[in-house]
Amino acid sequence: MTGTAESLSAPYTVEFPFERTVGPTIGTFLGGLRDGQLYGVRTERGVLCPPLEFEPGTGAETGELVPVADTGTVTSWTWVPSREGDPVPHDFAWALIAIDGTIGALFHAVDVDGDSGRMTTGMRVRARWRTERVGQLSDIECFEVTS
Amino acid sequence: MTNVLPEPVTTIPNPFRMDYTYVAGAGRSMFLRGLAERKLIARRCAGCGQVYLPPPEFCSRCLTELEAPFELDGRGAISTFCVVSFPFPGQRIDPPYVVAHIQPHGAGTRLMHLVREIEPEDVHIGLEVEPVWVPDDELDTSLLSISHFRPTTEGGADA
Repeated sequence: MTGTAESLSAPYTVEFPFERTVGPTIGTFLGGLRDGQLYGVRTERGVLCPPLEFEPGTGAETGELVPVADTGTVTSWTWVPSREGDPVPHDFAWALIAIDGTIGALFHAVDVDGDSGRMTTGMRVRARWRTERVGQLSDIECFEVTS
Repeated sequence: MTNVLPEPVTTIPNPFRMDYTYVAGAGRSMFLRGLAERKLIARRCAGCGQVYLPPPEFCSRCLTELEAPFELDGRGAISTFCVVSFPFPGQRIDPPYVVAHIQPHGAGTRLMHLVREIEPEDVHIGLEVEPVWVPDDELDTSLLSISHFRPTTEGGADA
């Protein structure tokens, strides 16, 4: 065709303001976060944290919710650059954290002051709670090293 | 041992948001630049005769480069339509309104656009429509340069 100028482009945003219902078990777990207390749920295999309404393996209904510690052990992690909206303002790790005394894995950020060399599986971490909490997973700002 | 549980949370915000860049490509950029000049630019495939509006660079059936661009006046017929009666977040127009697939005369493809200046219950498949362009100072490289389509009037396709 006739002398083609360069392609047009334009910024676009797709956005849906969804809310989701969380159900009684996760609802209580989130209520605990709002109150600054981590909860797990009793199952045949032990206390599951984060809790679910049903055992993932068997589908059996889970039992009573119980308070658990806010400390744990990193079982797996991935180092990422910090982006807008991330929980930590500098580079950090997304990690699976086995909360003490529980089974399961809590997925959250671990802040090691931007030094990936301090990340190891088996490292001990503790929740850093926000002072203003609303009942979301982000009520825990991130986890930080305890030893 | 008593275990006083916290008051449960019932819902959490779970927004979905995606920022991206739309790149029109050479073919569609020409079409969009035409819209800013009140022109609807089409192109034909020499292989199969299909006329594309908007035109890409290559025929999606024959994969051959399309012929030289030419103008269509935008008059066409409604091939299918929908009366939108339902409000939703981000909606720009008060329902009810009509969104239609319009097959412009001379084109083998359809444009989707608003149909106004007619009651929704009077819209029907086959209805002849024409584009209504926005004022000059609102023209842009966008299909929003056409404000809407309306039932074809005698005389011109523009008012």
